[in-house]
Amino acid sequence: MAEAQRNYFELFGLEPNFFVDQKELSSKLKRLLQSAHPDRHAQGGSQQQMLAMQKTTRLNDAFAVLKHPVKRAQYLLQVVKGIDTTKDHTVNDPEFLMQQLELREELDTLAQQKDAAGLMTLADKIEAMAEEQEASLGQRFEQEDWDLEALKVSIYKLQFLHKTLNDIELAEDKILD
Amino acid sequence: MALLQISEPGQSTEPHQHKLAAGIDLGTTNSLIATVRSGKAETLADANGKHTVPSVVHYMSDDNFEVGHKAKEQQAIEPGNVISSIKRLMGRGLADMDKIKEFSANQLIESESGMPGVVLDNQVEKNPVEVSSDILRTLAERAEQTLGGELGGVVITVPAYFDEAQRQATKDAAQLAGLKVLRLLNEPTAAAVAYGLDTGSEGIHAIYDLGGGTFDISILRLQKGVFEVLATGGDSALGGDDFDRAIAHYLVEQANVDSDDRRAHQLAMIKARDIKEALTDTDTVEVNFLDWNGQMSRTQIEEIIAPIVDKTLLSCRRTLKDAGIKVDEVDKVVMVGGSTRVPLVREKVEKHFKVPPLTDIDPDKVVAIGAAIQANVLIGNKSDDDMLLLDVIPLSLGVETMGGLAEKIIPRNTPIPIAKAQEFTTFKDGQTAMAIHVVQGERELVDDCRSLARFELRGIPPMVAGAARIKVTYQVDADGLLQVLAEETTSGVKADITVKPSYGLSDDQITNMLQSSFSHAEGDMEARMLREQKVEAARVIEAVSAALNENGKELLSEEEYAAIQSSLEQLNQTSQGDSIEAIENAIEIVEKNSNEFASRRMDASIAKALVGHEVDEI
Repeated sequence: MAEAQRNYFELFGLEPNFFVDQKELSSKLKRLLQSAHPDRHAQGGSQQQMLAMQKTTRLNDAFAVLKHPVKRAQYLLQVVKGIDTTKDHTVNDPEFLMQQLELREELDTLAQQKDAAGLMTLADKIEAMAEEQEASLGQRFEQEDWDLEALKVSIYKLQFLHKTLNDIELAEDKILD
Repeated sequence: MALLQISEPGQSTEPHQHKLAAGIDLGTTNSLIATVRSGKAETLADANGKHTVPSVVHYMSDDNFEVGHKAKEQQAIEPGNVISSIKRLMGRGLADMDKIKEFSANQLIESESGMPGVVLDNQVEKNPVEVSSDILRTLAERAEQTLGGELGGVVITVPAYFDEAQRQATKDAAQLAGLKVLRLLNEPTAAAVAYGLDTGSEGIHAIYDLGGGTFDISILRLQKGVFEVLATGGDSALGGDDFDRAIAHYLVEQANVDSDDRRAHQLAMIKARDIKEALTDTDTVEVNFLDWNGQMSRTQIEEIIAPIVDKTLLSCRRTLKDAGIKVDEVDKVVMVGGSTRVPLVREKVEKHFKVPPLTDIDPDKVVAIGAAIQANVLIGNKSDDDMLLLDVIPLSLGVETMGGLAEKIIPRNTPIPIAKAQEFTTFKDGQTAMAIHVVQGERELVDDCRSLARFELRGIPPMVAGAARIKVTYQVDADGLLQVLAEETTSGVKADITVKPSYGLSDDQITNMLQSSFSHAEGDMEARMLREQKVEAARVIEAVSAALNENGKELLSEEEYAAIQSSLEQLNQTSQGDSIEAIENAIEIVEKNSNEFASRRMDASIAKALVGHEVDEI
């Protein structure tokens, strides 16, 4: 009965699934917030306002997780199989790791040269790789019986790519400063 | 403190009662107050028909003060007792003031609050919160006189780029002025509301807000009454004042003014503003400043101020990137703030966004108007409104880690309210206390970020090193204000938190200031508080009883139901008596017993919001 136990998918009226229609998710968030947001409870007492803040916080949290492919995949594994993939990272794939190393070297060089255009090109390239990885992860989640090891590796790889994308953003920020 | 009355969103429990609410634009240079009357939001004028109130306070020898035009007139006569641009000092430290000290007539000192104190000629010290509170009080009085009643609540606008300390200082000022703050609203968001509701405009909007002392750029998506801030950026210490200062600097150089001559610097600032305003409509002006006579052209001042305008455009670029929006996806650009009257600003903004900026609503009034609309909704006057404002945190929140590094906990542009939890452990056997330093900003080093507060956790149960698990939760509310909660999770002990804001007043200091302003009428205060507590108790009883009747049986176990019922009876009895404290306690018990019920009721109502719409979708 206690709604705090409802998982993020349930909060949004969704089946636990890797595929999430982002447009629908975003429009559902707005509908939920129309009811939950503290502004909707401004005339309630302090307790009601506190609850509204907590509910909205949870909706914002849930949205952030369901929006992001890595977080969503990790959350899905956690909810369905009770497996925590947020802590240890091991990818036993020398080819992939070598490629990542090269990408990071490229990033460092571009950052040092303050080459904003170069960083953007690099970001585009990695984004394409991330999309490919995400699609393959999606396919693995589509299978009837989840190959847990393969899923984990796929999630780690995607996480790697997103981390690099994030670092490119930071490098771009520094150039703008 | 009403409880549990989960009314349908936006609906007032007493629909026929029109409550008085106002929106306040507390600006660096000018302030305004607006309200919604007969469905129309408008700013309120003084007896002389003037809407804007200069944010200037003149303190007189007899402890009285005046705010606005009269105070401004005193600036040239009695500069040491006139305080202007106080917003620049809110939530800041003395070290932040280097840039403006030179042109300030007042002496600034380190005060107990960490914020700079302003010393008047009679050596009395005023802190920024007090000065802002005096401005707010004056504005509220204008509204109360015009509307003929007490204000039930206000929405006060702050620059979107204001950090937590600056927001808290603003809220403290309102509290000191005896005002109920319904919401601190970001200025560009307020402007977007005014525009969006006025024109029904939808799509991606960039709000370029250049005020006297602050610059904000917000990128919003407007869709069906939802105002969603995608990203916000800016500089909370950059504004039209900087144009004046740059021009004043030029004047001071031309006239060979001595660098210690405060008075001359102050005059140069006033002159600079006149020149800037005159050159909005004409191409050249004659200038007489002290011994120097000369001519200044628009081209000349544009050269002086161009670097400042360019700095704002850099912020625009960065914020668009944060929002994930390309320049050509921006549908409309809205100009806000008096400083956007400067022709060079308009030219450069148009060139940057490739669309002509909108100035349909008076850039000076648009923020106050938006705030008034929001205040009217929040006070419960508008019943069937879908308007919803979704805002973000402007600067990343972090904590200090080893080596003076800042670890980000909540990144900038995260939608609020939001919370993040972090787990710490002890590193010494029997350690019972722990210090946490919270900072705000984007830089890696703590020293380059704004220090918000130092928290000390005490009462951690003594254990061996590394055994304690202390969960610290950082909650940012819809006003952008931070609360920190700490709990030792293995024992469930809630750690005590002592907050020492780096630049702000502690709760005790505020209570003291409030008490000293009420000390003359202590007896009245007690009677009033008792009356208020009794009213509150009656409201709580009514609300909780109604909720129990509605779906108590459905959502509660028998024991839970009985527990709430009995605490209600207790409250009913206690509220017949005359002890403020006992009534307070009884209300608290009802609150505690009914919290889970209230939470379930709210969840049920939120879930309904989703179901109710799914039908439309198909």
